[in-house]
Amino acid sequence: MISEWISRFRFFLRRDLLARRRTSELDEELQFHVEQATAANIAQGMTPEEARRNALIEFGGVEQARERCQEQEPGWWIDTLLQDVRYGLRGFRRSKAFAVSAVLTLALAIGATTAVFSVVDPILFRALPYADAGRLVSVGFTFSSEREEFLTGKFYLDWQASHKPFAEMASQGDAPHPCDLVENNPAELECVKFQAGMLPLLGISPVLGRNFLPEEDAPHGPPVVMISYALWQGHYGGDRQIIGREINIDGNLARVVGVLPRDFQFPTLEQTDVLQPLALDPAAQNTANGGFGIPMLAFARLKPGVSLAEAQAEMQPVFDREKAWLPPPARALTRLSIRPLREREVGDARRIAWILLGAVAAVLLTACANVAGLLVARGAAREREMAVRKALGASRWRLVRQGLTEALLLALAGAAAGLALAEGLLRVFVALAPAGVPFLSKARLDLRIAAFTVVLALACGVVFGMTTALHRPDGLLVNARSTLSRRHVRLRRVLVMGQIAASVVLLAGAALLLRSFQRIEEQRLGFTTHGVMTAQIALPGFRYNTEAKWLEFHLQVEQAVRRLPGVTAVALSDSVPPGGWQSELRYSDLAVEGRPHMAPGVGGWIATRRVTPEYFRALDIPVIRGRGFTGEDSNGEMRLVVLSRLAAARLFPGEDPIGKRFSMVGPGSGTWFTVAGVAEEAKNTGLIGEERPEIYFLRRDVASDWSDRRAVLAIGSALPEATVAGWVQAAVHNLDPTVPVEMVPLAQAVDKLLDQPRFETALLGFFALMGLAMAAVGIYGILAYLTSQRTQEIGVRMALGATRVNILGLIARDGLRMVLAGGVLGLAAALGLAHVLRALLYQTSTYDTLAFVVVPVVLCVVAGVAVLLPARAGMKVEPTVALRYE
Amino acid sequence: MPTSTELLQGTLDLLILQTLTTGSMHGWGVAQRIQQVSKDVLQIGQGSLYPALHRLEYKGWIRSDWGNSENNRRAKFYSLTRAGKKRLETELEDWDRLSAAVALVLGRIPEASS
Repeated sequence: MISEWISRFRFFLRRDLLARRRTSELDEELQFHVEQATAANIAQGMTPEEARRNALIEFGGVEQARERCQEQEPGWWIDTLLQDVRYGLRGFRRSKAFAVSAVLTLALAIGATTAVFSVVDPILFRALPYADAGRLVSVGFTFSSEREEFLTGKFYLDWQASHKPFAEMASQGDAPHPCDLVENNPAELECVKFQAGMLPLLGISPVLGRNFLPEEDAPHGPPVVMISYALWQGHYGGDRQIIGREINIDGNLARVVGVLPRDFQFPTLEQTDVLQPLALDPAAQNTANGGFGIPMLAFARLKPGVSLAEAQAEMQPVFDREKAWLPPPARALTRLSIRPLREREVGDARRIAWILLGAVAAVLLTACANVAGLLVARGAAREREMAVRKALGASRWRLVRQGLTEALLLALAGAAAGLALAEGLLRVFVALAPAGVPFLSKARLDLRIAAFTVVLALACGVVFGMTTALHRPDGLLVNARSTLSRRHVRLRRVLVMGQIAASVVLLAGAALLLRSFQRIEEQRLGFTTHGVMTAQIALPGFRYNTEAKWLEFHLQVEQAVRRLPGVTAVALSDSVPPGGWQSELRYSDLAVEGRPHMAPGVGGWIATRRVTPEYFRALDIPVIRGRGFTGEDSNGEMRLVVLSRLAAARLFPGEDPIGKRFSMVGPGSGTWFTVAGVAEEAKNTGLIGEERPEIYFLRRDVASDWSDRRAVLAIGSALPEATVAGWVQAAVHNLDPTVPVEMVPLAQAVDKLLDQPRFETALLGFFALMGLAMAAVGIYGILAYLTSQRTQEIGVRMALGATRVNILGLIARDGLRMVLAGGVLGLAAALGLAHVLRALLYQTSTYDTLAFVVVPVVLCVVAGVAVLLPARAGMKVEPTVALRYE
Repeated sequence: MPTSTELLQGTLDLLILQTLTTGSMHGWGVAQRIQQVSKDVLQIGQGSLYPALHRLEYKGWIRSDWGNSENNRRAKFYSLTRAGKKRLETELEDWDRLSAAVALVLGRIPEASS
């Protein structure tokens, strides 16, 4: 056995050296055989000629015998492969234009596909960075229309006691919350509470130190924290002595026991600096938070072999039993939710990821069709060459292999160029992308992506290689003059129609998104952004720790800013529209005077803002009934509110709301709020959300009206933004240099909300243009080819009296027929596929007329140019020259 | 008359190896010898003979040397290597087992084979 391998190896090594000698030796050996046979025949009494003839007939194909002998050699295919490659490259060098355009087309498409894939891969395919992440689930309830599940302490404990389908279960406190690091070098951080079981559940261990101990994760346990890698590196300079040191969080000392890994991904994807033990007190969960226990996010690992559906089925009875604990109106609105952790982390991004992937796949197919078209054209031109090779004894398989080798060469060259292009495109994507695309920072070209690209290129190569390679001629064409093979032309026509159809689908998608984008941009916000500057002020909680201090500081800032020249209005609020955080209430939280209470937990959401009197002036929100707030109200006894038009219609249908009163249900009940006026709607759920009713609460100069150490200053001014921003920052700095201020022009905040639709529109538009350009090249290519093939025919027609216009019509008609067929096919497909985009569209029907009118027009213009160019060339044919052609 | 393609896969290898035990031989000689010994039943066409010879050579079971033929022409002579001899032994054992088994299934008493 070993000697066999050594022998094989020896032959393999000497392959090149010996190749030539071996070929001649083989010839000699076969020659000898024939001679022996001839001699034997002569011995049987044949004449020498007859003997040799018979020997040769007996022998059969010398060429085939030689090929079969050569195929016995280990690794013989490498030789033929190299031969094919050399032959292919020689061919490409002879037709550079063909090779360059094919590689460029492929590079563009493969580059775009690779870039898009590297962005969507973590969203759609790559496993989350946890141990055995496929079995991690997010568990809890969803309430009403909320989509993110949560749990409260009482239910969590009950689930834990009966968690049949789960191998492990752990929870974190609600979302991360701001906290202060109090020391000489203070910082505002994000803190979150984790149970000790969270990290083991995710399969993560700290890079330094250890996880929480069970006794630390218990009520009144020793105060400990774990910190993020970023905080450790950034704030503590990567000092390994950090373990065991006490740090002051919000005024409480806690010992650092561990540092999280650098790329630890929080299950909520939020950037968090400090982990504290949740220290769940089982006894308190039946009383805290109205008897439901503290809110939390729970995660679990499915037992091996338990599917998601089985887990849901197993938990349903538990959930049904627990529903009895909820107040009756809430029961119908609460649902059990167990879904993969990936789904929770990725959320809505899946849809846009699939759309982008689909779009870029369409571009790739168009490109492949283009290259296939080029290859078919080239194949037609080489028909004679192939026929000659076949007649010389090349097997059909050998010719197919040659075609495939050339196709794969092109594809791999395209992939190499595409990979370089992808790197650039990826940077563009990252720069363009809105904040909402998850894992974007993790998108990079690594081995996995490169492997994807290579596989993609090979698939492309095989696809367009096979379409052409299988199209080999019969051996009869050796004598044929350059004929116009009907089959080639038909195949190319089909390819071009497919390209047009694909680009129409892309164009239609892009047009719909563009229309939607236009609507978003043009919509009335209901407030002005022009000249409005916002200043976010967050008072450090450990020094400003009473409502009176908050009131005092904020009023000082308001006065200081009001004194600045050019400032026309200044207001304090807890938030500003249209997007971002805002506080919200349910209808059922309100009790209108003289009306029965609504069932708790029902009736939908109302946005609320707590504002000082000049708010409506600063944002130019018109008060349409009653009045806005005045300076005197700030010192009055009355708790005044202004309702938005929707809120007024909802709370006081058919009545005049002015002077009517309502109060809160639950904590804070007994305080009456009186309606002072009604304001026009102002966009308050982002740019594309459905408008939400809104209540503006007056923030009086009374400490009890200030329940937060954070506030937003809205400043109306005629001066340039940068000037105002500098002055406001200086004014705050004068009062207390340690208070952080973040200045954002309102127009800029609104523009940021456009990032997402802009990204989607730009990307799809880019792909649509690419697809269209390729389809145009495809049309041009086939028509130019056909025209050149028909030069003689055109000459004859002209000689027989056809005018140049007739010729133009002849060629253009041919092209336009393809455009028409492809266009109709594409439009039908686009109408069928448009619903995929529905979730991305704002006030735009998926059958938007304008979009579906514009697309054919654009197509006709582009296709028209692509058709006319070759048609004009046909028209200019000189009959005398054409008739002498060939 | 069975053509070489109808020979069991691997049987041709066995025949060649066995034939070469008598000494080194060129391709033509191997073909003639097999035909002769089999009383013209087995005719090995060159289309399978030479690929088989080359295959065996690449496997290291036979080796080739250029020499002069009986009519003084340069010819390629094949001879068994040590590995080839071992291979032949195992192949023969396999063949015996197989033919005995086939004979049993067909209900015939195996004739004594050399």
